[in-house]
Amino acid sequence: MVLLLILLPIAAGSVLFALPRGERLWSRVIGCVVAAATFALPLLDPNGGDFSARWLSRPFTASLHFSWSGFSLWLVLLLALCTFCAILATNAAQSRTMVALLLMLEGGMMGVFTARDILAFALFWDLMLIPPFFALIEWAPHRETAWRFLIYNFSGGLTLLLATAAFGILSGSTDVIGGTHQFAGSWAPWIFAGFAFAFAVKTPLWPLHTWMPNTYAELPPPFVAVISAVQSKAGLYGFIVIALPFLRSALVEWRWLLVALALVSLLYGAFVALTQTDTKRIVAYSSLSHLGLIVLAIASANPVAIQGALVYIVAHGLFSAALFLILGYLEEREETRSVLKLGGLGAVNPKLAGAFTIAALAALGLPGLAGFAGELVILTGVFRAGYFWPALIALVPIVLASAYMLRLLQDVINGPQVAALPRRPDLTVIEALAVAPLLAALLLVGIYPHALLAAVMR
Amino acid sequence: MPNFITHEDWLAITPLLIAGGGALIVLLVDLLWPKHAPRYVSLALGIGVLLAAGAFAATTYGRSYDAFNGGFMLGGFAVVFQEIIVVSAIFSLALFGTFGRDDRMAGITALLLWSTTGAMLMAGAANLMTIFLGLELLSLALYCLCGVAGRPASQESALKYLILSSTASGFLLFGMALLFGATGSVTLASLTLPGLTANPLYWMGGGFFLVGIAFKLSLMPFHVWSPDVYEGAPLPVTAFMSVVTKAGTLAVFARFAYALPHGEKLLLPFFVIAGISMIGGNLAMLAQTDLKRLLAYSGVAQAGYMVAALAGASALGMRYAIYYLAAYMFMNLGAFAIAALLSGEREEGAQIAAFRGLGQRQPLLAAAMSFFLLALAGFPPTAGFLGKILILAATVNAGYAWLAALLIAGTAISLYAYFKIFRLMYDPHDSPAPAVRTSAPLAYAGAAFCAVCVIIMTFYPLTPSNVLPLVK
Repeated sequence: MVLLLILLPIAAGSVLFALPRGERLWSRVIGCVVAAATFALPLLDPNGGDFSARWLSRPFTASLHFSWSGFSLWLVLLLALCTFCAILATNAAQSRTMVALLLMLEGGMMGVFTARDILAFALFWDLMLIPPFFALIEWAPHRETAWRFLIYNFSGGLTLLLATAAFGILSGSTDVIGGTHQFAGSWAPWIFAGFAFAFAVKTPLWPLHTWMPNTYAELPPPFVAVISAVQSKAGLYGFIVIALPFLRSALVEWRWLLVALALVSLLYGAFVALTQTDTKRIVAYSSLSHLGLIVLAIASANPVAIQGALVYIVAHGLFSAALFLILGYLEEREETRSVLKLGGLGAVNPKLAGAFTIAALAALGLPGLAGFAGELVILTGVFRAGYFWPALIALVPIVLASAYMLRLLQDVINGPQVAALPRRPDLTVIEALAVAPLLAALLLVGIYPHALLAAVMR
Repeated sequence: MPNFITHEDWLAITPLLIAGGGALIVLLVDLLWPKHAPRYVSLALGIGVLLAAGAFAATTYGRSYDAFNGGFMLGGFAVVFQEIIVVSAIFSLALFGTFGRDDRMAGITALLLWSTTGAMLMAGAANLMTIFLGLELLSLALYCLCGVAGRPASQESALKYLILSSTASGFLLFGMALLFGATGSVTLASLTLPGLTANPLYWMGGGFFLVGIAFKLSLMPFHVWSPDVYEGAPLPVTAFMSVVTKAGTLAVFARFAYALPHGEKLLLPFFVIAGISMIGGNLAMLAQTDLKRLLAYSGVAQAGYMVAALAGASALGMRYAIYYLAAYMFMNLGAFAIAALLSGEREEGAQIAAFRGLGQRQPLLAAAMSFFLLALAGFPPTAGFLGKILILAATVNAGYAWLAALLIAGTAISLYAYFKIFRLMYDPHDSPAPAVRTSAPLAYAGAAFCAVCVIIMTFYPLTPSNVLPLVK
């Protein structure tokens, strides 16, 4: 079962390349069916799905061990949902290639989120970096963007590999995810540093974020939606399932640095988002700021804060996917991403404006939408852990989030329209269907976060 | 210890006799055929001979026997290296399906077989004489093979290789002479004599010996010959050289390193240059525009990785070096096969520019090339990924964490070079290079075989478990 979850999207993605280059309909149909299947599979059997096969017995034991349980399940569902929506929203001339790459990306990330073995985790970690790289080569206007993405992320992948090897040698097995044995010793801080570097690049954390704004701005919206919503969570997931249970003492040792970097990311992301004029960059920098909050929660190592982090991971996934898809629709219609030129969306495209408003309000943490619950629980936990000042500082960017998100809304929805453009239809049915599940989930989690919290507490 | 040669001794080197004698058959058939033997007759004969040699070698797996008074050690170690060498040789012959002149094919096949024989001898060589014998047999045949293309570059490559490699052989021989002076014996086993480390001849001899080895392994800074020679030599010969010389020399180095009881001091500089190779080889790769030069520098770095696995002379390290060598063989030969498929008589595929727009022109070839480059860069799901993690584990375990760190840094650098080719293949803004279409079923089959092996090795890492006890 769980193997199917990983292999089905990868196989389907490879098969799609057999279709002719310009094909637009069938690739999307197949893609949606496969993504829907990966969403349904874990729901049919929420507690099952364990696959394990011995991989290495020397120099340490490693298994190809995958299962979904607890928080993995939520990330698997989030990933399947975002992939489904992204494929539905795909409308480029090269939809065949994009759908195929999206499916392969999904398969790779499924491996990351279901791996119960650190070596298997590392394998899929590297694997999930390949589709975005090809997407950047294909679509990014600037060549450096692809390089920057690759060099940063793969360097992270390499330190992850080194840390995995050292961890395996010293503890004898990497088939440990889900367990909690403490790993101490003089090597622990260095092994933690190897893991943390990889996770911090992927999240990203200041100052390792410089690949992120360009990548997010230049990739096609469906791709960014999946990467920012789910792939960036792989790093946070790694912190939670590898660094926290096994290397807590090392984390405590490095905590000052993590807290400092998280706070800088929070503030820096928020301030830069205030100054940007490119819609996608505003959301990209807001992402840097929001994910800094999650890293702060993890660094505090307080159970309440971690629960908040888990909820916020899902919430951020939902609203950032929705935001990037909607910004994609907007760019398609208005042919610009500059807030200086945009305007008047509310009058012309009320449905699109409405969807945009919901997503943006969730992003700024409006009570009743998913973002709020996560932020509140994280801050409570960080306070409880005794981090008074960091928690207080973290409030500043949360206020700033209202400023830059409202400015974005205001610039796009109010004011005069962009002149002299071809007709701008409102949301089409398919476009609406692509964002509706995300917005519905945002509301659901916002009104009744208990379902998610309860699952996370277990 | 008996001093006469027994039946068992001859049995131990039967694979070598088959390969070396088979070369004579190839030449004889060519001689007796009206005019010249057709290309495929020579190649088929050569491949048949190699298959026979490989099959015979495989039957001796698991047996342990010191033939010729310890001059040639039969055992799992030798067999594994011999199989790697035989597979690469078969592969190179397959690539010759579209290269070189028809009337020279018998000679080329024979030379390649002799070269293979030399490398196979090195795989089992356990005294200084047989090491040198094997090395010279390997090299002498290769000098000629480098020059068979008839282009000026090919002849230049042969001459360069002859002069530089002979110099290195001189170093090696001088080192051997000094080691003989120190121990009074040519066997590697005599290196365990007590009190040897007090003798300056041991240090000098060991140093010269290692310089020679470093040259043959093309470790930096003794690598300068390899890009030039690789560039000029015909493509199948380059493919052969890139794996077989490394395999043979690595076997010799492993035997030498594992024979020393306390070799850390003598070997430390060698591991330092392995570290330099990882960084330097990958850095130099960035500037290349010729695929063969690029793969030569990649080979410099990859040789560094393999040597790093042997640091600390650990039992595990040996297995992982062999594992990585086998993985390197498949991914490297796969890349060469793709280059061969893009090449006409003038070897256009050896230029990186030939890959421009390949993703649109020949998507399958582009996908295969991407796969082999991903493997060389160490991405999953390829054996390159697992090989790297195993080497990292071995070096960390042996207490050479700095080598592991250098390996990581080197790999990060190498990405840019490998992925330059990706960009050329898939960048939609570039206009594609003119298509060269060759029909070479053997090369297609070879590439497919390599790709399958690279994937299988990832999930079933067959590290020969009885290799180490037989190293001695």
